Amino acid sequence: MKKEPSVCDDNVFEKLFRKHYEPATRFIYYRCGNLQQAEDIVQNVFVKIWNNCSKIIYSTVKSYIYTACNNSFINEHEHKKVVLKHQKNTKNTANNESPDFLIEVEEFRVKLKEAIANLNSKEREVFLLSRIEKKTYKEIAEIKGLSVKAIERRMSKALKQLREDLGKHIKI
Amino acid sequence: MKKKYNTDDSFLLRWIQGKLSPEELETFKKSDAYRQYKAINDESQKLSGPDIDVDSAFNKVRNTLNTRKKETKLVNLKLAIGVAALLIILLGIFSFYDKTYENGIGKTQTIVLSDGSEVILNVNSSLSHRRFFWSLDKTVELKGEAYFKIEKGDGFSVTTTQGKVNVLGTKFNLKNWDDLELSCFEGKVEYKSNVPNSKSNILSKGMKIIDRTDRITESVFSNNSPSWLDGRSDFENKPLYMVLEELSNYYNIEFNVDGIDTNRLYNGSFVHNDLELALKSTLSAMNIKYTKQQDVYILSSK
Repeated sequence: MKKEPSVCDDNVFEKLFRKHYEPATRFIYYRCGNLQQAEDIVQNVFVKIWNNCSKIIYSTVKSYIYTACNNSFINEHEHKKVVLKHQKNTKNTANNESPDFLIEVEEFRVKLKEAIANLNSKEREVFLLSRIEKKTYKEIAEIKGLSVKAIERRMSKALKQLREDLGKHIKI
Repeated sequence: MKKKYNTDDSFLLRWIQGKLSPEELETFKKSDAYRQYKAINDESQKLSGPDIDVDSAFNKVRNTLNTRKKETKLVNLKLAIGVAALLIILLGIFSFYDKTYENGIGKTQTIVLSDGSEVILNVNSSLSHRRFFWSLDKTVELKGEAYFKIEKGDGFSVTTTQGKVNVLGTKFNLKNWDDLELSCFEGKVEYKSNVPNSKSNILSKGMKIIDRTDRITESVFSNNSPSWLDGRSDFENKPLYMVLEELSNYYNIEFNVDGIDTNRLYNGSFVHNDLELALKSTLSAMNIKYTKQQDVYILSSK
């Protein structure tokens, strides 16, 4: 059997941190909309991992992180509005379009962000993990500890809700 | 005719993964809804989450660790690493050797554990436990539903993703497909949710709890054994989607639910050995029409 790396090793720990810190923080952020809170939760989870490093198996660290994040999040109740940004490279995509069109696109983007922020937190979380973080339903199901069916149900609810909110702003 | 994206719940999900057939995509492209969903999908993918400074976060965590660990860290580092490595290897060995029982759709089985306890595992469910030294820590992990007849003895427990049941010689049914549902038929069981700091509930004969993650409700019942052992599923004020999910655990079928409201509540039961009868007693009872197209049942309101 191949020996697993020890979580107590400084380098292993740092690698784990650099790999999982950002996605885990976003995962919490999409649910609560409070970046400070999300960062605190995930940092505390890593402190806990270090303090218990001898009891934690390397190959299960990922699921440990998400379970611990999920659990600490349930205990904290402060919710804020989720704020999203556009990627920097999206501005030039419509160069050859008329100024009117550009204004419409800009308005639509604002409304889209608004509509996403107004989604039910469970559905928003699944929608953003799928669309922004490009996770499959199966991956989302694993980090949430839910069935794939439940994730698909949330995703399809989110899509329909967004269409209901935004449909009238899209010119046919 | 209603458009497919309106009747088929999986249609949108497949579209967004790029898994529609060329013909389906062609038809979909002609609809108004396509423009709307495409705009939403395209623009959503151009969004990004908050910027996160991993370096400064790491330094912050490292500082916290340094202030706490300095005193003890140097003393027995070698020994600690050795012990930790040994632990990891041992745990690794034992966690590799799990014994798992699994049922497909429509299949049940009875499992006798090494202490004489009996577990009847329901359809589409799985049960696993450590293969070695199981009697030292009698924990089994359940996904789905099972009926347990536990021999008297120390510390038998069942874990699920949602919560943990501790037992001392008893009979109980545990169901965790969507909400967690625990019914005690004999003796006493203790339930504790996986949500940290939650208090535990003790159930005696005839008591039942339902854990919906955000709230736990207690109620009583009078059956002597769970209805699924008699080939029947009972529902009391359950949303229709749970009923449909359970139907597809017993019969290998799928539903398109877009024409109906799946949050409506259902009271009643269905049998496990007659699909037509099962559909009548659930769908017809709720005034829902169903037509079969290929392998999928399309549901609509009457």
